[in-house]
Amino acid sequence: MAWNRTEIPGPVESGEVVISLRDVSKRYSREAPAVSHANLEVHEGEFVFITGETGSGKSTLLKIIMHQLVPTDGTVNVLGYNLNKIRHTKIPKFRRNLGVVFQDFRLLKDRNVYENVAFAQRIIQVPGEQIRRNVTDALDMVGLADKYKRQVTQLSGGEQQRVAIARALVNKPFILLADEPTGNLDAETAWDIMQLIERINTQYGTTVIVVTHDRSIVDRMNKRVIEMKQGEIIRDDPARTEEEYDEYYEDENAYQDVDSDGYDYEN
Amino acid sequence: MTMRISTFFYTLWQGIRNIFRNKGYSAASIATISASLFLFGLFFSVIDNISYMVHNAEQGVAVTVFFDDGTTTEEINQLKIALEERPEVKQVVYVSADDAWAEFSKEYLGDYADGFTENPLAGDDNLEIYLNDVSKQGELVNYLEKLDNVREVNRSEITADTLTGVNRLLAYMSGFIIAILIIVSIFLISNTVATGITSHKDEINIMKYIGATDFFVRAPYVIEGMIIGLVGALIPLGFTYFFYNRVVGMIADRFSMLSNILKFMPAADVFRYLIPIMIALGVGIGFLGSTLTIRKHLHV
Repeated sequence: MAWNRTEIPGPVESGEVVISLRDVSKRYSREAPAVSHANLEVHEGEFVFITGETGSGKSTLLKIIMHQLVPTDGTVNVLGYNLNKIRHTKIPKFRRNLGVVFQDFRLLKDRNVYENVAFAQRIIQVPGEQIRRNVTDALDMVGLADKYKRQVTQLSGGEQQRVAIARALVNKPFILLADEPTGNLDAETAWDIMQLIERINTQYGTTVIVVTHDRSIVDRMNKRVIEMKQGEIIRDDPARTEEEYDEYYEDENAYQDVDSDGYDYEN
Repeated sequence: MTMRISTFFYTLWQGIRNIFRNKGYSAASIATISASLFLFGLFFSVIDNISYMVHNAEQGVAVTVFFDDGTTTEEINQLKIALEERPEVKQVVYVSADDAWAEFSKEYLGDYADGFTENPLAGDDNLEIYLNDVSKQGELVNYLEKLDNVREVNRSEITADTLTGVNRLLAYMSGFIIAILIIVSIFLISNTVATGITSHKDEINIMKYIGATDFFVRAPYVIEGMIIGLVGALIPLGFTYFFYNRVVGMIADRFSMLSNILKFMPAADVFRYLIPIMIALGVGIGFLGSTLTIRKHLHV
């Protein structure tokens, strides 16, 4: 697949800062803020988990990054765009740098797999023959090249999420934002999806932010983890070194309980 | 704003899709627009024809001026030239006594004219004045009556005032009815588009996440409205076109004794204006209806 960007082998933390939040707060009402005084820097090519319980503010944080929500206080910079001051007409151009994946897939149910992915290209007005090439490439990447004619409603949850990822990928975003991407999937499928997202990160150098409350996945992936609680960032741990990682698995044997009960189907 | 051809067709296709996605509302909108534009077409044809007839009648309206005995042909010609300078005057025709008698005898006496050995209208040389603007007739008559040498001024009996009055009333009434129907049409299109937007909330949101411009999100809905308007114009146009010649023919048959007044416009003349006007109205209604809704419901 021909990507125009420099490929970065594996996660790096030394790249340029692509996301920067300074003292960001968001309150919906007079009650406790959804996000409170958050400071965060994400570098190009990084893979970051934002984790925490339901209502901890992690989804709000993601929405602030994609400029779906505007913070009440603090400054947000993403890919050089000052999101506090961005003009309405510039928002589409900004969003074209992002790929977004949701828990509920949000596919167009009246269209087939190919059309769902091509949709993203049509929106940014890519010429016809280029669309065909790019969609085929994206479907190859997510492993659905042979199912391009299927109606999305006929696909399994995992496959639907792959279509959604292909749609997020096809415009070659700098940053991939995933909001509970595995929330509707069984543990095995969830793991496949996470591996796919990791592959996107390592292969294309796409900066990835995954919001999840699924501790098992976070523990198993060994990435930078930002934990939120009641709107505040309470932990920001870098990925473990290889030794730390091995140690962790020997000590906790964590993987064993993951699939049995580490999963919250309610969300 | 530049737009790729593929984008144009995609947007067009989305607009057409929208129409079929909520068939009921689309059909209702098309029906209302069709009804209002059909009425428009009907009134337009009638008013256009009445104007045409009024115009024809006005062509025949003339003021005739007779002169005192002893007025020379030269003097009459001087007046003719002076009258031709006046803006409301279209044409001035000099009718000599002999001409006048020849015409009169031909029209009313036929063969009996042979009984006259000399011209009974001798000295009745006159000027026939045809007007551009019939409403100025009174003014002209006043002017003429004050002139020396003028013996008598005859104004034409057929004034077009009544006809013009009827036409104006009809125009006001139809204008009022059509205005109401157009407002209803705009409202219905607006509702149709609003329904479409509501049922596509998710799709619109996805488009926004992906980075669709406002234009790209809105265009299919505007196109939807415009197509509904276009179809709503073409249906009554076809209808009117089909019936125009039939109805005209039927009226001419029924009221054949009025055939010298009832001169209808040929269909081609009516439709030369009606087609572009109705299409513009339909598409305009569609555009307005959808744009208003988008402003209200589609905050992108």
